[in-house]
Amino acid sequence: MGLFSSIKDKVVGTPKPLLTEAHIKSALSVVMDPDLHQDIVTLGFVRAIAINGSSVSLEVNLTTPACPVKEQLKSQVEDILKALPGVSDVTVTMTATTRAPQVSAAAATNPSLQHVKNIIAVASGKGGVGKSTTAVNLAFALAKAGSKVGLLDADVYGPSVPRMVRITKPAHDAGPNVIVPPESHGVKVLSAGMFSQPGEATILRGPMAGNVVKQFLTQVQWGELDYLIIDYPPGTGDIQLTISQTAPVTGAVIVTTPQEVSLIDVRKAISMFKTLKVPVLGVIETMSYFVCDGCDKKHEIFRSGGGERLAREYGVAFLGGIPLDPRVVVGGDEGSVQVQSLPDSPAAKAYSGAAGAVAQQLSILNSVDSGALNQFVLEWKH
Amino acid sequence: MSYIRVKDISQVDERTLGVLWTDGRKNKIDVVDLRRRCPCAVCIDEWTRAQRLKPEDIAESVRPVKIESVGSYALKVQFSDGHSTGIYTFQMLREAFH
Ligand SMILES: Nc1ncnc2c1ncn2[C@@H]1O[C@H](COP(=O)(O)OP(=O)(O)O)[C@@H](O)[C@H]1O
Ligand SMILES: [Mg+2]
Ligand SMILES: [Zn+2]
Repeated sequence: MGLFSSIKDKVVGTPKPLLTEAHIKSALSVVMDPDLHQDIVTLGFVRAIAINGSSVSLEVNLTTPACPVKEQLKSQVEDILKALPGVSDVTVTMTATTRAPQVSAAAATNPSLQHVKNIIAVASGKGGVGKSTTAVNLAFALAKAGSKVGLLDADVYGPSVPRMVRITKPAHDAGPNVIVPPESHGVKVLSAGMFSQPGEATILRGPMAGNVVKQFLTQVQWGELDYLIIDYPPGTGDIQLTISQTAPVTGAVIVTTPQEVSLIDVRKAISMFKTLKVPVLGVIETMSYFVCDGCDKKHEIFRSGGGERLAREYGVAFLGGIPLDPRVVVGGDEGSVQVQSLPDSPAAKAYSGAAGAVAQQLSILNSVDSGALNQFVLEWKH
Repeated sequence: MSYIRVKDISQVDERTLGVLWTDGRKNKIDVVDLRRRCPCAVCIDEWTRAQRLKPEDIAESVRPVKIESVGSYALKVQFSDGHSTGIYTFQMLREAFH
């Protein structure tokens, strides 16, 4: 009997593999982040590994919740874990901690933007190219993905965000010189247009306009944000300069239509950011094609590929093409915010894709730790 | 894609500003010289780029009061003589002061 049981123990007991955290990490070290060109273990993305018998659960913490390859990475991790001997049950949770450019503690000179991780300029050469619609949809798409987002309509000459985003609460003052922006679907929204009466044209000129924009960046309690999207006025004037001088803009997104690509204006906008040393994250082409109700095919109404060519010419990413959708125009009120009102429409999907691409470019940019000071103040000692 | 920016900025001595750039380069800048090379429209003719400011107009005793970043590309200096309009781009600082 004793002999018999000892043989049985040997047979059953030998192949039992010991599942350890190190074992799991080494198995997952073949999973590469396609943007950061490193494996997810080295990048420190794999966290909270828990082994319970044959059940394994862990967390993959990415650099943005809007990561375009999130689902791909998740299933890749799941497949690898399930294939490990001794594993039967796998739970993979995808989380994200948005990276910010390196900021020195001593550099916090502007409390309004102190906890804003990334500031994104949405700019164009000309008006009417769909820049504001893009800015709003990018903001809501990033928020839907789970990021903390703010949207600043800095187009003081023609603020259009109040027309597109329904705000229920007004902005309020939290003490002297501190404005608290109201929220819409979790996005903190502020616009020059919110401070005028409905129907009344907001005409701010020259130094007045500059001061309003400065206030938006220095006297607003933006709080903790992963992304602050700024809808720039079109072109390359004083306001654009004022914004870029007041805020440490992390990167710029250039919006163009196929027809605008050939014009000098969009190139001037790109040059402006080069001069201001604001990295251009890429180009979004709006109203680039038409998805026909009848056949669901893409019809290129204009000469295609312009936005892509422009991006290539400047060595920046092409972040996506947005289809022309008549519902954006007829929708009125919240109709422009397709990612909210028509999330399954081709335009909404294209905006979400572009938002993912923007977040991706920022993650790449922020993965290079240059150690630069974002903002600084030095008082001279005499 | 990222540009060269300031990694560290400090006062080296009574009249010297030290800048460490993200590419590892270090500049020591004489602050009186910095004032004399102010690039603002008052000090430099915008069209001819000729210097309007004569070096002897600036006293040897001039010092910064405060130095502050401007966006991601420049810094501005408030000087003890009341002048503060110059925006010194990082590029200009790297080229002009070695
Ligand atoms: N993808 C789109 N499809 C159809 N119409 C659009 C689209 N994007 C913007 N528009 C319309 O084009 C006009 C200009 O858009 P807007 O975002 O206000 O441009 P900008 O901010 O560049 O001036 C608006 O009437 C808007 O509704
Ligand atoms: Mg607009
Ligand atoms: Zn000057």
